[in-house]
Parts: sequence; structure tokens; C-alpha cells
Amino acid sequence: MRSWQDRYAASLSAAVAIAIVGQPLVSVLGALARQADPGRISSGLALVAVAYAGYLTLVRTAGPVVLGAADASWRLLSPLPRRTVLGRTALALLTVSVLGGLVLGVALVAVLGAPDQLSLRLAAALVLGLGAGLGGMAMGVLGQASPAWDGWLRALIAVIVVAAVVLAVLGAGPGRHLPAVVAGAPAGPVGVVAGCAAAVTALLVRRAWTALGRVPARAILAASVRAGRVAQAAVVLDPGMLTWVVEDNHWRGRTLRSRRWPVTGAWALAWQEARRLGRRPARLAVLAGAAALPALVVTAGLPQVAVALTPAGALAAAASVTSGVRRDDDNPALLRVLAVEPRAALAVRALPSALLGALWLDVAFAGLSAVGASPGGLWWLLGPACGPALAVAALRMARRRPVDHSMPVIDTPGGAIPTGPLLWALTGVDLALLGCAPALLALAVQPANPVPYLLAQALTGLGVLWGYIVLATRGGRRRTRTVKGVQLQ
Amino acid sequence: METAIITVRDVRVDLGGHTVFREVDLTAGPEEIVAVAGENGAGKSTLLRCLAGLQTPSGGQIRVLGGPPADTAGFWREVVSAGDEPAWYPGLSVREHVELVLSVHGGGRLSVESALSAFQLERRAELHPLTLSTGQRQRVSLAMALARPSRLLLLDEPERGLDADFRERLAGILREYAAQSGTIVMATHDIALAEACGARLVTLEAAR
Repeated sequence: MRSWQDRYAASLSAAVAIAIVGQPLVSVLGALARQADPGRISSGLALVAVAYAGYLTLVRTAGPVVLGAADASWRLLSPLPRRTVLGRTALALLTVSVLGGLVLGVALVAVLGAPDQLSLRLAAALVLGLGAGLGGMAMGVLGQASPAWDGWLRALIAVIVVAAVVLAVLGAGPGRHLPAVVAGAPAGPVGVVAGCAAAVTALLVRRAWTALGRVPARAILAASVRAGRVAQAAVVLDPGMLTWVVEDNHWRGRTLRSRRWPVTGAWALAWQEARRLGRRPARLAVLAGAAALPALVVTAGLPQVAVALTPAGALAAAASVTSGVRRDDDNPALLRVLAVEPRAALAVRALPSALLGALWLDVAFAGLSAVGASPGGLWWLLGPACGPALAVAALRMARRRPVDHSMPVIDTPGGAIPTGPLLWALTGVDLALLGCAPALLALAVQPANPVPYLLAQALTGLGVLWGYIVLATRGGRRRTRTVKGVQLQ
Repeated sequence: METAIITVRDVRVDLGGHTVFREVDLTAGPEEIVAVAGENGAGKSTLLRCLAGLQTPSGGQIRVLGGPPADTAGFWREVVSAGDEPAWYPGLSVREHVELVLSVHGGGRLSVESALSAFQLERRAELHPLTLSTGQRQRVSLAMALARPSRLLLLDEPERGLDADFRERLAGILREYAAQSGTIVMATHDIALAEACGARLVTLEAAR
């Protein structure tokens, strides 16, 4: 039972929040009353579609109906009405989907612009956004209760991804002005579309509310266990643990088609990464699609985002094939059975990261070159030249210790900075910046003859890789760490 | 003249200010199986870790294969240890895990098919190890350890999770390994398994 003090505190908090964000929000919304650049609408819509596909994927991965450990253990399996038990969860899902929907709506207006009748267009976009947010969440709940609905949700995600690709292609080609027709549509039909979307959303939400009473307990329990592990990883701030939860959940229960090892000796360790990646085609497709994002954000008028996105994407691609080195670093029992020299193992395991990082960078550069944001010619060699440095960074990230929460917190005028998580986040990135320094310099200067920079980059990358492998394996593999409370050596 | 594979002389281990065991002597030669028994906390696993070079004793001397044990690739090419369940590589089936071991070593004592058959894993060969039960995962772990070439096998409670029928089968597999000039030291609570292997029983007593 909430007391009047609780209500007073909640009301006061809401009033303070409105007072703080109200004025900036009005300024941002007022700035939306403009004619959108027709050349950027396709790319902007493609980015919004990618964000929405990400939201739906997150909803599906999370559950979305989850319970805390105590409720999952006791109340869920009791004779209490299921909807009563899940009431608080439903409220949380509603809040998340409303917030997500509002962001989506504002993003839509930002992309399409509002040449006239700002309030009507803004309202229609917010209704569309709320419809997408709430409707997507409702489909997630229905998908948890029924495999058929889960199939529909997966199909919807696929359709949205395809739509994003089509919009991105339109944005880069002669059809870039086609979506401008949508932006210039009269406010009347836009309102009708928003009304239809609201009706469909209401139908989906109603069905989801009905389905909430018959979501199988096993589905809620499975999602709750996942959520519990995620929460534990978040509490101890150990994202490494989180990635293992996702990885192990993916493989548990799977039947694989065994294939012979085409290589022998330590090379088999590199092949293990290639085989794992080949068995996750969806992840491979996401990586490939993400290589187009830098070009997409440039055409959407956000070149400064592309500057950060390109190296981050290349590093993420390189880091996506380090499961073996992470596994052996967590628990070297399997590496001892294999009896491979630590230096040879680390060197061989740098290979998949170097190749994938280089390939991703080259595809991203090709995209940037196609939209005129990057020079062509010999610049494609920058990818292979950066490969070794990216591999070093990925290996260092894979081998980093969990976050050290005993590190001091530094008070700054901008707020307190916990150095433990900061150092953890920078581990790996530091070597990427050091190893790719010539390439970053070349991109900043854009010299007419890139060959000296390319040579410098290749030598720096190989030098950093050699130095890292030598230093990291100095003194054998005697490293002790604790995983899940068990001390390992 | 028989050359000792393992020689342990007057070894003592202290952990956290507490003596786990002291004055331990042990020898093991080729074609010999030694079963180390003892109550919980007697230091069986600690002794195996000392033999594997993963724990430095506080006193005494340990020699394995003619030298002090060391956690190096050269040492592990001769010695294989199966203790706590290893972490499995993501994306590989049971068969691929066994085959990976043989590919890295360039061959082994058993072929992939023989190892899967000996450990009754044929029908589970295409699954990821995380899909298996505890006992089945223990069999995969033992299959990988016994399929690869080695001279010394260190087993920490190999009976863990195994049913009674398979324990009998395991005894036969271990006898066969020893008959091929192998040496086995295992920590166990299953005296029947030790007897079925024909092992020499050594009882470790916790330090008072």
C-alpha cells in the first residue's frame, strides 16, 4: 500500500523531471519544423528501421515476460492467477515499450521533417512510434506464449531488416528521392495511417493481455533464469560473463553436423573460430550488414558518427572471433589436453581476428568510398594493414580481467568517474589506437600518396602483434583466476 | 631396470596457514595404476595438482618423468590430466572435440570412432557437450584424455557422474592404457573401481 509520502515523492520527482527536461524538449521538438533534405530521407529511414529491428530482437531475446528469482521460484508455480503474478512485469514492459515508441516517433519526425502542421505530424509520428513499440512488445509476449506468434515476430524482424537494406540501397542510388514522396504526404492521409496503426496496436495489446494468463511457466522460468544471469552480470559489472551466458545458451541443446578438421597442429585452434562463426550465419549477416552502417550514417548527414562507428565496428568484428582464447583464458584445462605452446596458440588465434577485422574495414571503406566520403585507389590496403593491430586489440580484450571494483573513484566537476570500469573498457582499445596510429593519421591528413602511411601501418601492426604475443606469453601460462567461485590455474 | 615415472619424497603442502598433508611418499612406474584414496579434505586433488605442476609443494621433492613437473606444453605432451570438467569450445560437437585433440597431436592412441565407441558416445557425437548430462560430459572428458598419446594419466575422481555399468567398462579401458606402458595416478572414492583396475591403493590421511 502506497502512503501519501510515496505519492508526494513521486509527484515531486515527476514535476522536477518535467522542469529539467521540459524546455530542452520543447526546443528539440520545435527544431523539427523544417523541410527534410530529400537526399537523406532514405538513409535516415534505414537507420530507424535498423534501430526498430534491434528493439524487436532485444524484446524476443529478453523473453520479454520475466520474473525476479523469488517470484519465479514461488509465486509463478502457485495457484495464484498468472496475470496477478505478472502484473508488475506487464507494467514494466508497458513503460519500456512506451518510452521506446516515443523515441521511435521523434526519430521518424527528425528524419521525415515537418514542413507544415508540426503538431499534427508530430502527433501522427508519435502514434506510429507508440504503435511500433507497443505492438512489437505485444508480439513478443504472444511469441512467448505461442510458437506461431514467435514465427510471425521473427518474420517481422526479417522484413524490417530487408526494408532497411532496400532503403539503404535507395539512398545510395538514383531512387533516393522516392521516400521524399512519403515525407511530403499531406497531413490528412498521415493521420489516417496513424489511426490504422493505433487500431492494430490496440488489437495486439489486447491479445497479449489475454495471452499473458497462459504463457507457459517453463517459458517464463527460462527467460527469468536468463534475466537473472544478466542482472548478476550487470551488478558485478562483468560483461564477459554476460557474453558467455548468451554463447552457452545458444549452443546448449543444439545438434551439429560434425566435419573433419582440414588442418592439423596448432592451426586447428584458428579453424575452431572459423567453424563457430560459420555456424552462426545470423551473426555473420549482422556483421556484414553492419559494415554498411558507416556509409549509411554519412548519407543520413551524420559523418561524425561514421568516424567513431568505423573503427568500433572493425574492432567488434575482430573481437567476435576470440571465443577460443577467452575460453582458454578462463579455464586452460582444454588447452592443457591439447598441449599447444601458449605462444603458438596465441599467434594462431590472432589470425581469424586479423582477417575478419581487415575484411570488415575494407567493406566499410568500400561503402564510404561509394558515397564519396573516402578516397578510393590504394586505400583498400588500409584494411589488411590494420588487421594485425585489430587482432592484438581483440586478443587483449578477450584476455582482460573482470572489472576491478577496488579501483578508486575520481570526483570531477562532471561527476564521479569509477576508474575500474573505465580501465576495463579501455583495455584493448588502447592497443587498437596505438597499433592503428599511422592509419588514423593517414585518414586525418588524406595524403595524395598513401603508400608511406600504408607501409608504416603494416609495420606498426605487425610490431604491436609480435610484442603483445611475446609479452603476454612470457613465463608460460601460469595465470590464476576465479570463475564462478572456482579457482582455476 | 624399471624407471620410476613418478617419485614423491617427503612432500608437504600448506594452504592458507593450514597443513593439508605432510610426509607423503609415492612412486609409480610404467604399466602401473595407483589409486589415491582418503576422506574429503585429505588432499587427494592437491596431490594430483602437485604432480601436474599446478601447485608448488611447501616442502619435499616431486619428480615426474625424470624432472620437476611444470605447467608447460612440453610437459603436457607427455602427461594428460582429467579433473574438473573442462570448459568446452563453443560451436563444436562431441565428435569434433575428440577429433580436435587428435588433429592437434597429429594422431593418437585411439581413432575418433574407437574413442566414441569405447566411451559409448556414438549416439551423442553430434551434440554440443553442454547438451549432455554430467556423466556423459565426464565420458567426453575421459575420451579426449585417453584418445591422445601420453605416458602419464592423472585422473581426479574419474568415476564422478558415471553409472555402475560404465565404471566397470572404464576399469577395462584404464587397464588397457596401463598395459600399453602407461602410468595412471587417480584420486578416487570408488574402491571397487580401483580394485577392478588392479590399482595399487594408497590412502592419504589428512594432517592433524
